[in-house]
Order: sequence, then structure tokens, then C-alpha cells
Amino acid sequence: MADERSFFETGLDEPLIVANEPRPPREKLNPPQWLRKRLFNSWYNSAVTLVLIPVIAYLGWRFFSFLVFNARWDPVRNNLTLFMVGRFPRAELWRVVAQVVIWSSAIGLAWGAAVAGAKARALRAGLPYREDPLLAKVRRYGALLVIVGLFLAMTQTWGPLIIFAGSVASAAVLQFLGSRTAAEHVAFLWAGVAVLGVAGFQVVSGFYGNGWLWMGVPIAVAASKLVGRIEWSSPLAARLARLGGVAVVLVVAYVAYMVIDHRGVGWEQWEGLRLNLLAAPIAIVLAFPLGVALAIARRSSFPALRIISTGYIELIRGVPLISLLLMGQFFIGFFLNTTTPLSSITRAITALTMFTSAYIAEIVRGGLQSIPRVQVEAGQSVGLRPFTIIRLIVLPQALRNVIPAMVGQFIALTKDTTLLSIIAVADLLYVRGIVHAQAEYRAFGIAETLVFVALIFWAITFSMSRESQRLERKLGVGER
Amino acid sequence: MTDTTRDMARHRDEVFADATQVCGTGDVIIDIEGIDKFFGDFQALKGVEMKVGRQEVVVVCGPSGAGKSTLIRCINRLEKHDRGRIVVDGIELSDDIRNIQEVRLETGMVFQQFNLFPHLTVLDNITLGPRQARHMPRREAEDLAMSLLTRVKIPEQARKFPGQLSGGQQQRVAIARSLAMSPKVMLFDEPTSALDPEMIKEVLDVIQDLARSGMTMIIVSHEMGFAREVSDRVVFMADGEIVEVGTPEHFFENPREERTKLFISQIL
Repeated sequence: MADERSFFETGLDEPLIVANEPRPPREKLNPPQWLRKRLFNSWYNSAVTLVLIPVIAYLGWRFFSFLVFNARWDPVRNNLTLFMVGRFPRAELWRVVAQVVIWSSAIGLAWGAAVAGAKARALRAGLPYREDPLLAKVRRYGALLVIVGLFLAMTQTWGPLIIFAGSVASAAVLQFLGSRTAAEHVAFLWAGVAVLGVAGFQVVSGFYGNGWLWMGVPIAVAASKLVGRIEWSSPLAARLARLGGVAVVLVVAYVAYMVIDHRGVGWEQWEGLRLNLLAAPIAIVLAFPLGVALAIARRSSFPALRIISTGYIELIRGVPLISLLLMGQFFIGFFLNTTTPLSSITRAITALTMFTSAYIAEIVRGGLQSIPRVQVEAGQSVGLRPFTIIRLIVLPQALRNVIPAMVGQFIALTKDTTLLSIIAVADLLYVRGIVHAQAEYRAFGIAETLVFVALIFWAITFSMSRESQRLERKLGVGER
Repeated sequence: MTDTTRDMARHRDEVFADATQVCGTGDVIIDIEGIDKFFGDFQALKGVEMKVGRQEVVVVCGPSGAGKSTLIRCINRLEKHDRGRIVVDGIELSDDIRNIQEVRLETGMVFQQFNLFPHLTVLDNITLGPRQARHMPRREAEDLAMSLLTRVKIPEQARKFPGQLSGGQQQRVAIARSLAMSPKVMLFDEPTSALDPEMIKEVLDVIQDLARSGMTMIIVSHEMGFAREVSDRVVFMADGEIVEVGTPEHFFENPREERTKLFISQIL
């Protein structure tokens, strides 16, 4: 793949010019030669081949014939909406559709911003920028595409296809526009991503509570940056102008919040695949900084921090996730005496976050230990403060070294979201139970729905693993 | 060294009574008073007394395990001394983190193994200190970095990563990284020991250049020819003590102590 290696796939420690690197010659074999060389090159290999081929063929045929001829996909086909969103109020389904479109746009914009940033960095480094060929992208996300294709093939109305096409189109347009943005404006794209992200969340959950604040903060940050671009006569004027920009945005957000209809569907009604797809990233986003903080605290020279962090990590890692989830249902409300009871989903995500952060802390600690002490000394000798040394010198190198382990943990967490079914939170696996509780699908199509659920998880986690491999190559992990 | 300066050196006392008499402009920038350093039960420094004058170049040499590295690592508090006093440009090193920080801002350090930050480009390696510790704007810091890279003769490597450079180039980047903080004193901890022979000269040239520009420097080195050329004083250490101090001429031609004679005969 040497000819496909772009700037981003080269390791930081490796020469950047690798495109013309000579490669060992690859022998070309025609089919009979291949057979002889690979399958029948000795009497025992021939024996293994002769035994295994019929076994594999038989098993493959049985599986194929189950999928195509015997399987009865009606329970899946007729309950697709149920699998996707559970018992989400049907009158409010437009909110989910809007969320899908808005978040697709956010992903497209983020992708575009990432490409624009990468182009700017390549330009700064005086290197050519080459995008991954389309084929490589398709290969990377092929599993997900196949699942989406199967899903669309089973739908009975045009609705899902239109939603899918609309989401892809808006993502593609924003990706195109984003990737052609000038380097100095990329920050605004990220602000846009944040705004779309929050908007997508709130179009479903409404703007209850402090919704206007969540919406206002990313816009306010963007406004502050925008105002900061203008040249002011004095630093004080600049600071006042930025504060003014922030204030205006927050006031407008608050007024808009008071004026518009801001009812929504709370996240205690999130169900089905939608719940798995949301709970995992939320837990990841919450657990990651917590885990990094715990890892740093565990290596701290303050005994109190070290003891608390070590105690937390060892305690949580010694407890099965299921018992943590169950304890979450009964204990969290006991410790946090809130006036309104916390929803099951809040408790479940809290438990998932606590669990995952302990594991991430150990992974990050391993990464921190892999960075030699002299790196810290070099930072000290140029007068950097301890926190700056950790943030800019130790952590970037440490995190780079632990990407594979970290992604493994995220994959495990994604699959662990199915454990929510045990505490009667209606995730994808639990919804499968609801499907079979209906009279017409009782004891019918049980294997098929399981295959369906398994396939979805496989496609998601496989894509994550491919993405992690790409990241490893790009950052040159293991090339030292 | 020209003949006239050599004559002047002859007129001076050729042997310093101890390491607390300085050359250079005469005023003392580093004052080390009777420091002890222990690693567990092992005593690495035994009551070392030393002064360094402004603009003076001191080469520290001696057999391995003599405490040379430990001595200069104590000066910017990479190691904590257990007894005695270290004063750098009027700031006494104490446990106060602000004091330590101030001393580190005044001293640059170049390591044997370069210790560049492998995840940052050469340019970012150099600008990190000024931008983070001195709050210099990015543009200004990059201009400074480029001028320093020109000074160490590798401006064309600015956008590369350390792993793509040769050892000699990396060490020159490390020198530029220290200089970017405009230190008053530069400490060199065996700057050429990890280099291939053909790269030693390019690094020594840069250090010599610095010496000519009037930078105060303490250099731990085994490059005796180099020591002879650049240094005002040579300090010989063994077993955690300063054994002998002298002008380079005195030190190489007429050493007084038996241990010094033995060391010079082994190394030359």
C-alpha cells in the first residue's frame, strides 16, 4: 500500500517521503499454481485441505440457506421502527428524523473541517496533501454501508430512503464546502459543528431546563472568536468587545428560548438502537477526560490525590459492570438526594461512565509510563510549568501510544450498552424482547432477530476497529 | 586563541587556588557553596565549591561517576541538592517552585541524548518554550526560531520532525531550543557523547560560536581539544569532588595532582 500512503499515514518518527520506497517483489500466480502452492504443497497440507473444504462448504451452505431460504425476516421487517427507536412517541417521530439529518450535517461539517485543517497543516509543512481515495473510504466503512443497505432493502415505505438520501446529501454538501474553507476560518466550522451537535440533541429533547445555555455557549464562543479577529485600538477594548459579543449571543439565546415552543421528548424515552448509539458516545465523551484525570492523579506527588484515584480505580475495576448498573439504579438516588428522581438512563450512563473511566485511567497510566522521564526534564529545562509539560509534552505522546487499547475499550463499551436491557432500559436487545412479546411474533423468528442485532453491533464495532487501524497508521504507532 | 591572549593568560596565575576564582568579566553569576548530593547511600557530590563568572566558559571533565552531570543538573534543579547553597544570578535555589521556575528561565540546558519532543516539528520544539513560558505571540516566536535555526545552520529543517534529522542536526535543534528562552547561562551535559564522529564537529562549531558571542557556559565534555580552545577554565572532578582547577594551558601541560595526570594520560 506504499503508493496509497498519504501525508497523514506517515509516522511522526519516520521520513515523510515514502511514496517511492522500493518494495519486495510480489509473486504473481495463476489459479492452478496458486492451488498447488498454497493448498496442496505437501501430502499433509493436501490432507488438511481435503478435510476442511467439505466442512467449510457444508457449514457455509447451511448458513447461507438459512439466511436466504429458511429465515423468516418478517419479525425484523415489520418492526424496523421499533428496533430503531423503541416506543418513542410516534407523533413526535419527526424530531428523530430532524435529529438524524442535523447530526449527519454535523458529521459532514466536522469531516470537512478536519480535511481543511489537515490541508492547512500539510501546506505549513510544505508537503503535498492527498486525500484518501474513495475506494479506501468505502473499504473502511463497508460493513456499515452493507448494514444500511440491508436495512433500506427491508423498509416498506420510501420514508427511510428519503431520510437517508437527505442526510447523506446534506453531509456531502457540508463536507465539500467545509474542506474548501481557508485555514483561518476552520475554527468557525468547529463552532458550527458544536452548534449543530447541540441543536440535534435539543430538537428531540426540547429546550427544557437550561437548554438555551447549552445552545448559546458554542455560539457565544464562536462570536467571541469572531469579534477577536477585528483589530481593536487597545487590549481592553478588544476584551470588552469580546465580552459584549458573548453577552449579546446569550441574551438572544435566552429570548429565543422564551419565545419558541420548547417542549420535547426527554431522554428517559430513548429506546432501541438509538439508545445504544447515543449511550455509548456519551459515556465515552464523559469517561475519557475523567479517566485521563484519574491516571494523572494516580501518578501525582500529592498523596491524597494518589490515594483517592487509586482507590477509585481499584474499587471500580473489581466490580462487574452488571452489579454497577444495578447499584446505579438503587444507590445513586440515595447519595444524591435530588428533588426529581433521576431517570434510569441517567443512572445507567453514570454507571457506564464510572466503569469505563477506571479502565481508561489504567490504559492512560500505561501510556504515561511509556514516556521517558527525560522528556519531562527537557520541558522543565525550557521553563515550562508542570501542568503544561503534562498537557503538551507527555499526554500527546502517551495517548498516541495507547490508541489501540483505548479503541478496544470503546468497542467493549459499545457492546456493553446491551447490558442496559438487564435494568429494564429498552436498548436494542431489550426491544427485541418487546418484538417477540407481540402475539404474532411469539416464538417465531427468534434466531433471525438475534442475527439482526448481532450484525448491527458487528458492523459498528468493525468500523471502529478499522478506523482505529487507520489512526494508528496515521500517527505511526508501533513504527518507532 | 591568539598569541596576545596567550601571553595575558601566562601573566595570570596559571593555577587557580580553587574553583571559586573566576575569569570572564569578574562578577559572579553562578555561586555554588559546599553542596552535597546523595542518591540513597551513595554520595554523588561532596562539598563542591565553585563560582562561575559572567561570560566565562568552564569545561568540567573527569572520569565517569565523578558527579559532573549531577553538578550541572543541580544548577537548574533537575536534581535537588541536599546541603549547601546554589545562587544563580542572584536567585537562591530553594524549594519554592517560583524560585526554581525563575532559575530555569535563566538557564538553558542541552542534554547528551538531545531530548527533543518527538511529536512536534523542529519549529514547534523551539517555539514551545517562548510561547508557553514567556507568552510570546506565535508569529514572533516563529521568527525567533527561524533566526536561531539560521544561527545553528539548519533553517531548511524547520518543518521536519526530530526523527527525520541526524544526531548532529538534532543536537543543534536542542541548542536552538535552549537559546530561544534567551538564557543567561547555558549548561551542556556531554553534548557530543551520543554523536557519530563525523557529526561532533558541527555541534562543537555551534558551541564555539556561542562562546565567542559572550555566553556564560558550563560544559561537561570529554573533547579535550575543544576544551583547550574554548574554555577559560577547566575543572577536573573525581569521586564527587573538585580535584583541580586551572587554565587550559596549565591543566593540559602541567597538571599538579596525581589523579589529574592519570586522567589526562588516559584520555589523550
